[in-house]
Amino acid sequence: ATKRVGTPKRNIHMSNIVEEMIFDKQDVLSTPKLKSKRSLAFGKEKDIEKILLEVTPKKPVEETPKRVQRSNSKYVKDSETPKTPSQKLKMIRSGELTPSFKEREGIEHSKLSKNDLQLARERLHVSVVPLSLPCREKEFENIYTFLEGKINDKCGGCMYISGVPGTGKTATVTGVIRALQKQVQEDMLPAFDYLEINGMRLTEPRQAYVHIYRQLTGKTVAWEHAHALLEKRFMTAAPRRITTVLIVDELDILCNRRQDVVYNLLDWPAKTAACLVVVTIANTMDLPERVLMGKVTSRLGLTRLTFQPYTHKQLQEIVTGRLGGSEAFKGEAIQLVARKVAAVSGDARRALDICRRATEIADSSKGKEICVNILHVQQALSEMIASAKVQAIKRCSRLEQILLQAIAAEVTRTGVEETYFMGVYTQFESIANFVGGILVPNTGQVLRLCSKLGAERLIICEHTRNDIFQKILLNVSTDDIHYALRVTPEATQ
Amino acid sequence: MSDGAEELLQIRRFLKERLQRDYTTFRGHDTERENIRQLLQRTAEMAESNSLLLIGPRGVGKTTLINAVLTDLLNNPDFIQNTLVVHLNGYLHTDDKLALKSITIQMQLENACDGKVFGSFAENLAFLLECLKAGDKRSKSVVVILEEFDLFCAHHNQTLLYNLFDVSQSAQAPICILGLTCRLDVIELLEKRVKSRFSHRQIFLFPNADDFSEFVKLFETLLKIPNERELKKHAERVASLKLLQSNQLTFHRNHYDPGKYKFNKRITDRWNKHIDALLQQNNVRQALQSLFDYDVSEAGLKIFIYRLVAQLQNHPGRTQVTSEQITQLISSYNNDTKVEILCGLSILEMCLIISMKHHSEIYDRDPFNFEIIYARFNKFAKVSTGMQNIERGVVLKAFEHLRNLELILPIASCASKVQKEFEMHKLALTYGQIHQAVQRYQVLPTEVTQWSQSSLI
Repeated sequence: ATKRVGTPKRNIHMSNIVEEMIFDKQDVLSTPKLKSKRSLAFGKEKDIEKILLEVTPKKPVEETPKRVQRSNSKYVKDSETPKTPSQKLKMIRSGELTPSFKEREGIEHSKLSKNDLQLARERLHVSVVPLSLPCREKEFENIYTFLEGKINDKCGGCMYISGVPGTGKTATVTGVIRALQKQVQEDMLPAFDYLEINGMRLTEPRQAYVHIYRQLTGKTVAWEHAHALLEKRFMTAAPRRITTVLIVDELDILCNRRQDVVYNLLDWPAKTAACLVVVTIANTMDLPERVLMGKVTSRLGLTRLTFQPYTHKQLQEIVTGRLGGSEAFKGEAIQLVARKVAAVSGDARRALDICRRATEIADSSKGKEICVNILHVQQALSEMIASAKVQAIKRCSRLEQILLQAIAAEVTRTGVEETYFMGVYTQFESIANFVGGILVPNTGQVLRLCSKLGAERLIICEHTRNDIFQKILLNVSTDDIHYALRVTPEATQ
Repeated sequence: MSDGAEELLQIRRFLKERLQRDYTTFRGHDTERENIRQLLQRTAEMAESNSLLLIGPRGVGKTTLINAVLTDLLNNPDFIQNTLVVHLNGYLHTDDKLALKSITIQMQLENACDGKVFGSFAENLAFLLECLKAGDKRSKSVVVILEEFDLFCAHHNQTLLYNLFDVSQSAQAPICILGLTCRLDVIELLEKRVKSRFSHRQIFLFPNADDFSEFVKLFETLLKIPNERELKKHAERVASLKLLQSNQLTFHRNHYDPGKYKFNKRITDRWNKHIDALLQQNNVRQALQSLFDYDVSEAGLKIFIYRLVAQLQNHPGRTQVTSEQITQLISSYNNDTKVEILCGLSILEMCLIISMKHHSEIYDRDPFNFEIIYARFNKFAKVSTGMQNIERGVVLKAFEHLRNLELILPIASCASKVQKEFEMHKLALTYGQIHQAVQRYQVLPTEVTQWSQSSLI
């Protein structure tokens, strides 16, 4: 990592944010070498201006640096300047080359050709987040007042938001940020920087520094360096410092044994120079007390908010809100989905996915009226919630079924859940002889059957290396086995 | 005659090739197939993001189903132009680092060059996520196929799965995640936030276990030679595989090509008629039934038929598949391999096995060591006529040989520190197996056979 420190340092001179407090203006001016190098690469006066524009500090940070860079990268693509991979990597690290994605070649389907169900399906997709989240007004208000107050007062602070997945935590927070940014545009609120990191998107906790720094400047540096620069930024006082709002999603992933990253993230807001507001999001309500160290918990403070799982009424409201005025769903169909999901998890994603699957089923059923009724929803629910263990037992081969019966019989014989292969094999032999008409397979074959059932996880067995001494556990209930085997046509005859 | 021999060779080659290298023909399960096809089509055409898990026991044709659906979609120019297929396997991509590199290469992102990826793991992840974030409805769809999905769940923090599922649930580049696994309870392996992001579409693929006639029909189709029209249809489909552009999905390169074969109509008629006649015979049906009782999967049947076809030779009586061959092959399935190993042992080793059996019978499968067995063997050897002057070292070697064959297993807890004569072992054989072996052993002295009946001397 120390090797890389040299290169980004040069880039720092170009950065528009850190330069303010670390280096004074003269330093920036004294690096003409770099500029000339760049101007050689682009070869046009216009671009030098562009770079100068980029270098000159201060503007609302939210989007401008990105925009400038994007136009740069486009330019680079047009002019066929040679790009070896390592040069490209350098450009990616310095943030000059923005990642792009391949465009579609075919023509987009026009919106007109879609029927009601397709439109509904599009609106029901989880990715289509509405501008204002229904049923989360109180939480929205709560976070909004907290952030607005902190931004107005120009002081730092922390907040902890918890709730099970799919209850609208991240969507609400980003909604609040959007509302605040709108306020800034209307000059009702002082400007602020907005950064976000997600614990699950990092390969290790320390990468948080890199991601934060990259969002500030667009450059990728090693984490040690990023950490040092961020320390410098937040520790030293600077005039005209604007508030930074940092959203930390999936906080529990950032907690390692040393907890230095979490400590730093929560310690910076306590510094007067920082003007940093940190909003942390995680799933468990008692995470600060359970996982975090005392000093970290104390810094996290007591401003907490819990998102309750959606009730069936709320879920119903969400789905109807998504559908807008569309007539694609019957009222009772939505109610069934809402009640089923609310009973299990209260996860909005789940409800939307089930609704979406129901529209697909309705679409393929080719009914005359294009409307999702309660039968479609029932089918979708059975597809997405029901388990298939009984079905799997029914579709096993005959000897596999006998093996399952033998294990169940051995469990009832011994009274212990854990059975041994030898006992099971004895039971197997007697059941197979009782059923009749089957050549009783030898131990090798039965071991193969065992590992096959083990791969499906109908039973849990050890490695076959243990041969006839392996332990076997039943992973389905004995009732399931009896039910599945009782209702097959063979058994009833 | 040589003409007939040529034909036979061609038939054998055709059948073998179709059994082994036909990666795209999938039979039955029409609703499941249609379901997946529509899902992929919607991903390609309407830029929807989706996720799906395909679950079924081993050998049921999960990979073949995906291949078949991809082949179907290849006729659709929209699909080829607008999708990137990314193929990952849990056995190859054993951690997120490798998987991420492979994704970067297969998506031809800017930090990949000729199969080499630059930058660290963290940089790669960040770059991939930014690329996906930069995309929207107008960008190409990505179809990610995750084979052995359950192994991806074992990765650290499930970072890759979280990010893939998260992309599929947010307004980014359209992506479709297809997981293939044989574990029924795979959803319980997901972390709760990953589980919440997964759309809970599961498709279960089970073999036809309750219909024996289907099994016989499958046997028939796999052995019969198709007529010219069907061959041509297959050949066209195989030719369309050339359009597949993925470097990782290589099944099109070495696919079986029916276009190469041309059969004389007279000969194919004779062949097919013979198969029909074969299936009418009672013992053939019985043999198939016993195979069906044991293993209902198509993969098992294919291996069986391959062994049948491989026996075809240009000798009189071997040019057709006969019922004797089938019954013989089935009975070879029931051979106990351990008994065969036992029959290959020397008489001394056999004697040791018998004394182990006596010890186990008397002490109800208590573990034993060399000394115990040697004492018991010595009692027999003293009174026997042929075993009197065997040295201890020779017996110890025989004991070690048994141990290396894993007919006896050391008890793991008391390893290393104990001398090898005193190390405790357990017998990995059933009494029935030993009994069988004693009966089948060639030229076992009568003394030994009698001793094996009872431990009293």
